[in-house]
Amino acid sequence: MSTTAQAHSKAAAHHATVKDALDHARTAAQELHGALSDAAAKRGGAAKADLEAIPLKAKALADSIKSSLVAQNAATKKSLEEAVTYLEGTGRHVAEALKSSGHAAEMSIQKAVADARASVQKISEAVAAKRSAASTPSLKR
Amino acid sequence: MRNFITVVFDDKSKAYKGLHALWELDDTGEITVHGTAVVHRDDEGHFEVDSKETHPVFATTVGVGIGALLGALAGPVGVAIGVASGAAIGAATGAVIGGVVDLDRSDTREQAVVETRFVLGRGQSAVIADVSEDWISTIDTRMEGLNGIVHRRSKSSLQDDEALADGFYPYDDYLYPYEYVPSRYSTHYGW
Repeated sequence: MSTTAQAHSKAAAHHATVKDALDHARTAAQELHGALSDAAAKRGGAAKADLEAIPLKAKALADSIKSSLVAQNAATKKSLEEAVTYLEGTGRHVAEALKSSGHAAEMSIQKAVADARASVQKISEAVAAKRSAASTPSLKR
Repeated sequence: MRNFITVVFDDKSKAYKGLHALWELDDTGEITVHGTAVVHRDDEGHFEVDSKETHPVFATTVGVGIGALLGALAGPVGVAIGVASGAAIGAATGAVIGGVVDLDRSDTREQAVVETRFVLGRGQSAVIADVSEDWISTIDTRMEGLNGIVHRRSKSSLQDDEALADGFYPYDDYLYPYEYVPSRYSTHYGW
């Protein structure tokens, strides 16, 4: 294989890896929001048991996204950084909900659901930015 | 380019083919779908939004206020209509939006058509989606093949409608990226 071909192959592999990482993050955030929404619809002990896992999942996803930031273009990176902020908010609000009760707990869960939803949106926007950048022909050779 | 699209079909099964096609385009990276919903209008004029309670391909219940989004997509006239219907439906689990949006009135219908050319007639179904697309021809061509008619509003123009809706701006909350589960579609339709 020529040096040029190797470089193209390497670049393609890199793009594939990044795409996979973003797609994985998108799916994970969607699942997190779904789990949180389902838990929010429950009451009492059942909800608490489901909610307890959320902060750790949110943190793991946020950490995963942070580790992939260096490989992203500016627009993608910006959306992902916003997604991380929302994921951190999700975990924080759920933790607050678990420590409180009644109206305060409900308010915290509502905020957590909203933040989780926003994180999904931001990751989805990051995917779009990545795809758009990849489909725009470069003027450089 | 970030757009909200409404693809109108003459029957429900074609709407689901349209939904499936959109997610296929997302899967191949030609567009990015941020969220979708399927809306039907029955013969009595009532709107119904599919959710996991009403159709097996969906993963979640639809958010509150889809009527407002539907109205907003129909343009300035629709915003006023849609907000009214959004208020009427409240929490829209397995939502039925009924009795408020009177698009059968000829004056309302004609005005909506003049402004946007988007009206969901009785017996028709529509796929609503929030998408990022570099070329509109990608979706248009695919939907044309399914006999779907695409109506499009940019997200920025919807944001401009905020004033018309008296500060009511929940568009981002209606459509869910994982609303549709492709594997369930295959199972349900025997693909």
